Amino acid sequence: MADLLPYLIGGLANGALYSLLALGFVLVYRATSVVNFAIGEFLLVGAYLTYTFALLLPLPLALLAALPLAFLFGVLVERGFVRPLLGRNVVAVIMATIGLAAALDGGVQLLWGPDLKYLPGSLPDLGFEAGGVYVSSRAVWNLLLALPLGLGLLWLLRKSRYGVLVRAISEREVAALALGIPTARILAGVWGVSALLATLAGALLAAASGVGHNLVFFGLKVFPVAILGGLDAVGGALAAGFLLGVLEAYLPGFTEALPFVVVLLVLLVRPYGLFGERQIERV
Amino acid sequence: MKRREFLRRLGVGSLAAMGFSRFALAQARPVKLAALLPLTGPFAFAGNAGREGFVDGVDYVNEVLGGIAGRKLELIVEDTGYDVAKGTAAFNRVLSRERPDELLFVYGDSTGLSKALAPEIARIGLPYSATSFANELADPEKYPTIFVFGPTYNDMMEALLRQIRLQKGKARIALVYSNTEFGRDPIPYVKERAKALGMEVVHEEVTPPAFTDATPVVLNLRRANPDFVLLQGYALSAEPLILRAAREQGLRAQFMGTYYSAELVLIQRAGPAAEGFTVTYHNPYWYDTLVPAVDEMRKFRQRKGRDSSYRPTYYMGSLAVALGVAEAMRRAAQAGKLTRAGVVEYLEKIGDYNAMGLVRGYQFVNHRIPYTKLYRASVKDGRFNAITDWLKLA
Repeated sequence: MADLLPYLIGGLANGALYSLLALGFVLVYRATSVVNFAIGEFLLVGAYLTYTFALLLPLPLALLAALPLAFLFGVLVERGFVRPLLGRNVVAVIMATIGLAAALDGGVQLLWGPDLKYLPGSLPDLGFEAGGVYVSSRAVWNLLLALPLGLGLLWLLRKSRYGVLVRAISEREVAALALGIPTARILAGVWGVSALLATLAGALLAAASGVGHNLVFFGLKVFPVAILGGLDAVGGALAAGFLLGVLEAYLPGFTEALPFVVVLLVLLVRPYGLFGERQIERV
Repeated sequence: MKRREFLRRLGVGSLAAMGFSRFALAQARPVKLAALLPLTGPFAFAGNAGREGFVDGVDYVNEVLGGIAGRKLELIVEDTGYDVAKGTAAFNRVLSRERPDELLFVYGDSTGLSKALAPEIARIGLPYSATSFANELADPEKYPTIFVFGPTYNDMMEALLRQIRLQKGKARIALVYSNTEFGRDPIPYVKERAKALGMEVVHEEVTPPAFTDATPVVLNLRRANPDFVLLQGYALSAEPLILRAAREQGLRAQFMGTYYSAELVLIQRAGPAAEGFTVTYHNPYWYDTLVPAVDEMRKFRQRKGRDSSYRPTYYMGSLAVALGVAEAMRRAAQAGKLTRAGVVEYLEKIGDYNAMGLVRGYQFVNHRIPYTKLYRASVKDGRFNAITDWLKLA
């Protein structure tokens, strides 16, 4: 058991990042029905923003400085790319986010150049050893930031006024508008939160492995995580992220195929994901 | 002058002028070298540094060495995005656009792309090299026009295994490699050779080319308890993570890697965990100022108003290819054989040339240059320091 524990910790630490990213992705899908194919690029932009601030500030402060900017970035994406297409064919919106991903890829390379970057500072070392098991600083930071944030966000969605409004919009946008709910502002906020979560994940990744285009590939994992948890289940995204992280840790040679195999198997039994709502359409 | 005489002279003059201009044009026709590089995508950092090396090399040939026997050497650059389909499309685009008597060399990207293109390259007799050091490409019988401008991955592993044998006779080694053509290429050779040298391969870990958490990989290694761990197929995407995780988890094994791990950014990313990481590398580093090529290119870049701060290993590799190919072209031109076949012939005959020390010498053996040095990372110096002289691998 002691042999398996380090794998579990490593898996949970990596899963925490999947959860953060998937949370933002599902939040946007649930509120706006938009599948954001640029989520990996959100992470990339967030990592580069953190890197830029880290050139001037200690890393924790750089991260704090990057988050509001990331939120603003998400809001701008919603205003510039998504809102003009709302109500259009879903394929048009999907194509727009794919186009956005390509534009962001190119933009990042133009702005920051193709060279690999590494963060000049690091987060304070919180690694420790207990019972012969070493828990890395990276794992501690990932869990310390992702878990409370994810759970807090879930609580906000369930209990706060803002959360109720988001849920109301996701249920019936037209009815929410008729009731005077500031739909546009709230949806922009949802995109902002999604970009913020992606930035946090990107910054934690960057702190561990540096900044480069390959961070985008981490973003691709969000799709199996979100589908596994259930596209409309915010809590499901959180749980599925951790689940996938742990599975990957025990089977490190299969991390490319594993998420998709798991999704396939789960969808055979639960087509709406592990925590998704079963939807019945009457015709 | 009578009108008839004037018209006749005008006609003769015009014809002569047309003829001369055509003649002059033929003389001025450039010789072309195409580089298909990953300018975007996950390896954009290497592709762009490589492009810089080619640009400098070609400019140096034209401005300092007088071109190729009076003809201008022209560089064509295409982006592959490190994607075999995009790379193949770029290759076809260049080949269909350029004249066969002008396009005399193509430099491609990745083991996957090069293996995919190899049969077609052999069919059309196109001189070719690539970022790849795959063993399969260094086979003049099968691919008579493909050259590997350095040791193959098998050769690099041979150098590492020899070093291991020097340090510990019956060593326990582990192999960690990516599940790509690049990663898998030397693995069968390493296993066979390690066995022949009396070593034991105690663990094999196949991973994706990039990942974000190396803890499981390192935990598996810790259970296997190797003396040495050989990394292959990552190009800086995973090595720093593995080294850091190994240090955190208390793994005592010594880590080693090949050419694409030999870049300073590895030390910067891995920090203290990089100490002692041993790599193969066969060009000089930008900080090896005693090498004439480095000094010359620093000055050349300064004259051109280009950034003369540290240039990565990928720059040095491309520069070495550009100068080597230009030398073969120049010798082929002097012999009146400036054709694709002529370039192949003279690439095989430029063993006495070393591009001011960029390589030990372009002494191709089975179309690869089987020499390398071993370098060891020093965190204090922030660089790789040579721990051997040239090792002959064939």
